[in-house]
Amino acid sequence: MKKLLLTTLVFSALFSPLAFATQTIKANVNGMVCAFCAQGIEKKMRALTQTQDVYVNLKQRIVAVELKDGQTLSNDKVKAIIKDAGYDVTAIEISEHPVAHIKAELEAKQGEK
Amino acid sequence: MFYTRFKVVLPLLAILLSQAATAGPMGFNESFMAMGDFNNNWRESFINYAVTPRDAFGVSATYMRADDKSKSRTLEEITYTRLVKRWNAPHAQANLWFQGGVGALQGENKLIGENRDFDKVMITPGVQFDYETTRVYFQASHRLYRASDINHDFTSVRAGFSFYETDYDKTQPWLILEARNMNGLSEKIEVTPMVRLINKSFFVEAGVNNSREPRFNFMYIF
Repeated sequence: MKKLLLTTLVFSALFSPLAFATQTIKANVNGMVCAFCAQGIEKKMRALTQTQDVYVNLKQRIVAVELKDGQTLSNDKVKAIIKDAGYDVTAIEISEHPVAHIKAELEAKQGEK
Repeated sequence: MFYTRFKVVLPLLAILLSQAATAGPMGFNESFMAMGDFNNNWRESFINYAVTPRDAFGVSATYMRADDKSKSRTLEEITYTRLVKRWNAPHAQANLWFQGGVGALQGENKLIGENRDFDKVMITPGVQFDYETTRVYFQASHRLYRASDINHDFTSVRAGFSFYETDYDKTQPWLILEARNMNGLSEKIEVTPMVRLINKSFFVEAGVNNSREPRFNFMYIF
């Protein structure tokens, strides 16, 4: 009985949406007006071992950093990297969507304008 | 009348300024930036390395020539670039830069009946201010090029606009107009309209100046 309970717990933990939840850190950035200059943000973010993917949207002033499964990255670290690249973070949030989803969403929003 | 114009101009300015291009003289922290600026009378190659987010050291080689070809100079210098101040707004950025160098100047003055060669130490402190959105660009810079009995101070003003906004990974075309003067080498103001192509990986400009001479600039960060 104990074994069954343990197995059930392990399986439910492994296959629950939480276990596979994507974590993307989405930052609103001031001053990000040129792709040539903002490349520093992307390069520094991609250099992190935790990073799965990075998306930069100049029009919406968004930098999104998708983390690899099981990886964590503090908001302060993200803010510090963006600050070092020469920009200011005005807001930061955690999204459970992957970068591809955020990209599609933002581009759809731009298409509406 | 004034109020009517004001009502028209102000929203237009607001639209332009609210659109969110930067190209400063250094890259991001721990990156190299290579730059080149080439025409018949001014050819400059420059590379620097950002040791902090705000400071970069580099080397530069410049060839300068008078419009009438009576004078030519070559300058090899060690340079220092400092981001003095950056202003970040939601859709704009402005920067104040210090750029300076010290190096060896070799010169030749071809006067009637004689040629005079010389070697001197030259210092080149200067400042640059730029303001950019994704649609408009302005830059003003003044840099001293001084050695004993030599003054080739360099002044330039640039302004331009992008034809349209692009995504981060697309190439954006701009039209830039530059006016510049090199004291002691040229009596006139060189005016060059240039097409600028800017991408997350490269920055190039090409144009023809008011003496019908070609001009080419590039920047690359790695």
